[in-house]
Amino acid sequence: MSELFEPKIIAFVCTYCTYAGADLAGTSRLKYAPNVRIIRLPCTGRISPMFILKALQKGADGVLVSGCHPGDCHFTHGNYHARRRWMVFRSLLDFMGIQPERVIFSWISAAEGGKFADLINTVTEDIRKLGPFDQYKELIRETEAPATL
Amino acid sequence: MAKIGVFICHCGENIASKVDCTKLAAAIGEHPGVAVSVEYKYFCSEPGQESVKKAIRDNNLTGVIIAACSPRMHEATFRKVCAEAGLNPYLCEIANIREQCSWVHTDKEMATEKAMDITRSMIEKVKRNNKLQPIEVPVTRRALVIGGGIAGIQAALDIANAGQEVVLVEREPSLGGHMSQLSETFPTLDCSQCIMTPRMVEAAQHPKIRLLTYAEVEHVDGFIGNFKVKIRMKSRYVDINTCTGCGDCMTKCPVKKISSEFDCGLGKRTAIYTPFAQSVPNIPVIDKASCIYFKNGKCKTCMKSCQINAINFDLQDEFIDLDVGAIVVATGFQVQNTAGYGEYGYGKYPDVITGLQFERLATASGPTSGKILRPSDGKEPETVVFIQCAGSRDPSKGVHYCSKICCMYTAKHAMLYAHKVHHGKTHIFYMDIRAGGKGYDEFTRRAIEEDDASYVRGRVSKVWLENGKLMVRGVDTLLGRPVTIAADMVVLATAMVPQPNAKEFAKTIGIAYDEYGYYNEAHLKLRPVESSTAGVFLAGACQSPKDIPDSVAQASASASKVLALFSKEKLEREPVVATTNEATCAGCWGCVLACPYNAIEQKDILDRSGRIIKRVASVNPGLCQGCGTCVTFCRSNSIDLAGFTDKQIFAEVMAL
Amino acid sequence: MITQEKYRSKAKKLLAEGSVKMVIGYSPGSTPDRRRPVFIRSFDEADQLVLDSNCIANLSGYLVSEGLLSDEKHVAIFLRPDGIRSINILAAESQLNVDQIIIFGFDTNGNEVRALTGEHAGEFSEFIGSIKEHPPEKSRDPLLYQIEQMNPQERFAFWKDEFSRCIKCYACRQACPMCYCRRCIVDSNQPQWINTSSHTLGNFEWNVVRAFHLAGRCVGCGNCDRACPVNIPLRLINSRMAEEVLDSFDHFAGLNPAQEPVLASFKKDDSETFIL
Repeated sequence: MSELFEPKIIAFVCTYCTYAGADLAGTSRLKYAPNVRIIRLPCTGRISPMFILKALQKGADGVLVSGCHPGDCHFTHGNYHARRRWMVFRSLLDFMGIQPERVIFSWISAAEGGKFADLINTVTEDIRKLGPFDQYKELIRETEAPATL
Repeated sequence: MAKIGVFICHCGENIASKVDCTKLAAAIGEHPGVAVSVEYKYFCSEPGQESVKKAIRDNNLTGVIIAACSPRMHEATFRKVCAEAGLNPYLCEIANIREQCSWVHTDKEMATEKAMDITRSMIEKVKRNNKLQPIEVPVTRRALVIGGGIAGIQAALDIANAGQEVVLVEREPSLGGHMSQLSETFPTLDCSQCIMTPRMVEAAQHPKIRLLTYAEVEHVDGFIGNFKVKIRMKSRYVDINTCTGCGDCMTKCPVKKISSEFDCGLGKRTAIYTPFAQSVPNIPVIDKASCIYFKNGKCKTCMKSCQINAINFDLQDEFIDLDVGAIVVATGFQVQNTAGYGEYGYGKYPDVITGLQFERLATASGPTSGKILRPSDGKEPETVVFIQCAGSRDPSKGVHYCSKICCMYTAKHAMLYAHKVHHGKTHIFYMDIRAGGKGYDEFTRRAIEEDDASYVRGRVSKVWLENGKLMVRGVDTLLGRPVTIAADMVVLATAMVPQPNAKEFAKTIGIAYDEYGYYNEAHLKLRPVESSTAGVFLAGACQSPKDIPDSVAQASASASKVLALFSKEKLEREPVVATTNEATCAGCWGCVLACPYNAIEQKDILDRSGRIIKRVASVNPGLCQGCGTCVTFCRSNSIDLAGFTDKQIFAEVMAL
Repeated sequence: MITQEKYRSKAKKLLAEGSVKMVIGYSPGSTPDRRRPVFIRSFDEADQLVLDSNCIANLSGYLVSEGLLSDEKHVAIFLRPDGIRSINILAAESQLNVDQIIIFGFDTNGNEVRALTGEHAGEFSEFIGSIKEHPPEKSRDPLLYQIEQMNPQERFAFWKDEFSRCIKCYACRQACPMCYCRRCIVDSNQPQWINTSSHTLGNFEWNVVRAFHLAGRCVGCGNCDRACPVNIPLRLINSRMAEEVLDSFDHFAGLNPAQEPVLASFKKDDSETFIL
C-alpha cells in the first residue's frame, strides 16, 4: 500500500462561532482528520485575503475560512463584509489558476460541532484527492530567499 | 530576548492519553526563545497555578503559553495567574490541544504532531504580543432618556429611583406618548389614563429627573460614558416658570377649530393649547402655524387674558448642552398612513377609522366622552367591522412584519363596543389570531365567547358606500365563500411603523436601524436592549412593535444596563481595539463605512500654525469592539488590531 | 480638430480669467502617435494642447498629486469616460473634491474625437450609467475567453509565465489613478506580507494583492497595462474583477461621486452560493 498523502490545511476562523463549534466537536468527542491547523481571530471581518496567500506560501495544500452564519455575527456585520471579500477574492484566485476547491469557505455556528467535524473530514479528503499543491510550492522553491518574518 | 514559558497540561488523561506530552515538552523546549517547557497533570489546579507563577518569577518570563484546554475555558484563569505573578496578562496565550486536538483525534502520533504545531504557532504569536492595559473610560453618571412615552418614563423612573440623574426629553408639549391616547388596556381593561397619569406626574416631580418637554435632541457626540448632547428647547411662547396652567388663554383663544392631533382628528383644539387635559406639564404652547398673531400680527387675546403675563410672543428656541454617560432611546412608533389602502375607503368615508381613532372614541375623556359615535353623523353604529392586518404582514404595502398589538386591541375594541352598545354587532376579519402573552388568549376567547365578536378568517377586498351603509366585501376562507357585511363603521387595525424621522434620528445618535427604520439591537437574542453603539440602549416600540408590558419590560432592562454602567466611576474595557497609523492613512474612509460601531472618526492633523495638513482615520477606543473588519479593509495596512495584529497572525501562520 | 480647438480656447479662457489654475491635458510625444501629459498654467502655453485619438492615457491620477488641490483652486483636465469614472471614485474615497475639477470630457471613435457634454463630474452620471447598461461592443478581450477555457493548472502556468517577467518596478502602481496610498502595502515590512523579491512568488503575490485592491475600483483605463515594461496583460485581471463585482453586486465602478465602495459595504442578501 502506498503512503497516503497527508495534506496540510490551514484554517482561519472566528472565535465566536466556528472556533466555538470546533470546541463543541471536541467536547462531543467527535473524531475528525488531524490535518487542519486553526488560527483563531475575533471575527471573519478580520480575515484578510493576505492570510490566505500567506498560508499557501507556508505550503498549505488547502485553506479553510469559516465564521458565523449571516445574521449571527457577534459584531453584527463582520461576516457580511467578509462574504463580499471572499466572493471577489475567490473569483480572483480562480482566475489566477488556484482551484476554488483549495480555498474553502463555510459558515459554522457555535452549535454545529457535527458540521465542523464533517467539514474537516470532507475538506481533508477532497484536498487529498487533489494532491499536493505542487504548482504553488514550486513558486516558493523558485524564490531564493526563504519566507522570513 | 524572548523568554517564553510553555506549560503543557495533561488534563488528567484527557490530553495525555492522545498527545505524548513528554515528547511535546521536549520538542517545544528546543524551540527558539522557549525558556521553560514543562508538563503537569492539572495546571488549572491550585498547585498547577502556583507552579506557573513560580516559573514566571524565577525565570523572568516574557510570555506564557498554556497548552491545555480551549481559551474559552481557562484563558481568563491563566491571564489572572500571570497578572498575579507580575506579568502583563495579555502576554499569556492558550494553545488549545484538548478540544481541538486530543479529544478529536485517535492517532497518537499525528495528534502529538498537531499539538506541536499548535503550540509552536502560539509561541510565535506570544513573542509578538504587546503589553496591553485595560482601557479606562470615565463615566458621566447622568442618563439621557429620549422619548416620554411609557417606555421612556419607565426607564427614567427606574434610573432615577436608583439615585442617578436623568434628563428626560419629550418632543411633544406633554409626556404620555401613545399610551396616554388609549382607552382601556388589554388584557385587564384598566383605564390607560388611570395607570399612566400617575407615572407622568411621578416623573415630572422626581428630584432626580430633569424633564424637558417640547424639546428635541439636535446633536449627539462622544461615546459611552461621555456623550455630549445638544437639545433644542422649542419655544412655547409661554414662560414655563410662571404659567400656572389655569387655562384662561385656551378658553379665550379665538382659533378653536384646529384638528386635534391627540384626538387623531376627531376632536378640535385651540391655537394655544395643551394636547390633553391631563398634560404634564400642564402648560400650553402656541401653535405658530395656526395663531392669528403669528399670521398677521394682530390678536394677542391669550396674552391679554393671562393675569400673570406668562405669554411672550418674542420667546425664541433655546439650546441646552448636556454631558451624559448613557442614552436610552425610547422614541416610539407611529401608525401607518392608511392612504395606501384606497380599497378600504379611509379618508374617503369618514366612518372608516383607524384603531387609534377608535381608542379616542372609547376614552371617557375623549372627543365623544367615551360614547362610540360615528364621525360622520354622530350616531351610534349598530354594526362595526374590524379589519385586522390593515397594513401589517402585507408585503405589497411594504410592511412584512406583524405589528403584534393589533390582534389584542381589536379584540379589546370589540369588547369595549359590546359593553357600550349592547345591541351592537361586531365582525372581525383576521388572518391569524396572535394572542401570545399572559392572559392574552383568554382575553380573545372572552371577546368571542362572552362579548359575541364574530371572527371571520379572511381578507377584505373592498369597502364601499351603499344606501348609507359601509359595504364590506371579504372572504371567509374557512367556509370558502365570499361575504359582504353592511356596516355602520369600519375600524382598520393599521400597522405600527417607525417614526417618520426614525432613520434621520438614528444617524443623529449614531445607531443602526433596519430596512423599516426600527432601531437595531446589538444582538437580537443576547443583547436585545443594547444598540450597536456602546452606551446607547433601546426601549419600547422604536426597536420593534411592542405592547405595553413588553415596552415597560424593555425599559426596565435598559435602565438596569444604564445602572450597571453607572455602578463604577470608570468603565474598564478589553484593550482589544483597533488603532490607526496616522502617518500612512490615505483618508479614503472605507474603514469608517465598514465599522459596525461608528467607532472611526476623521481626525485633522494640523501643522504648528493650526492649518490642516491632512485628515486621517482615528479609532475611538471607547466605541471600538475589536472585530477587525476595518483592518482587513485598509489597503495601505494603516490599521491594526491589538491582540490580533498582523504581525502576530503572520507569525502564527509562519510557524505552521 | 474641432474639439481640440474648442477645448484649447476654453482652456485659454479659463486660464485668462483665472477660474482655473491649471489645465492638465495632452501634448505631442516622442513619436507622432504618442502623446505626453502636459500641465498648462498660463494662457500662452495653451496652444501646446493636443486632442486626437492618440490621447489615451487616463490623466486623473495627476489630480491627487500631493498638494495640487489643497489650495481649493480649480483645475481643468482632459478625461475620457473612464477618466471621469476615476475621478468619481477618487471623490467617493475622499481623495478630491469634484467641485474643484472642470472636466474637458471627450471620447473617440476610430480617428474621430467628440466632446462630451458637461463640465462637472455629477453631470456625467447619466452618461456613465448608459455605459454600464450598454457596454460598447467587442469590449471584452478575447484573451479572457482563452484564459477561461484553460484548466486551473494551465491558468496557473499562464500567469506564472506572465509574472516571471515582472521586475517589480511598480510602474503599474505609479500609473494607476487608484494607487494613491501614501504607503503601499508592498512597502510595509512589519510584517512583510508581500515578498519583495522579483521572483515568481513575490510577483504572484504582488499582482494578486494589487488586483484585489482594485476590485470594484478599476475602470479599465489601461494605464497599468501600457506602463508595464514587460507587457504583462494586467488589464485582464482587473477587467475580470470588474466583471465579478458587476455580476455579483451590480457595482459599476465610478458611476457617480457618491458611490459607496463595494468592499466597504454589503447587502444582507449578497450571493453566497460558494459558502458551505
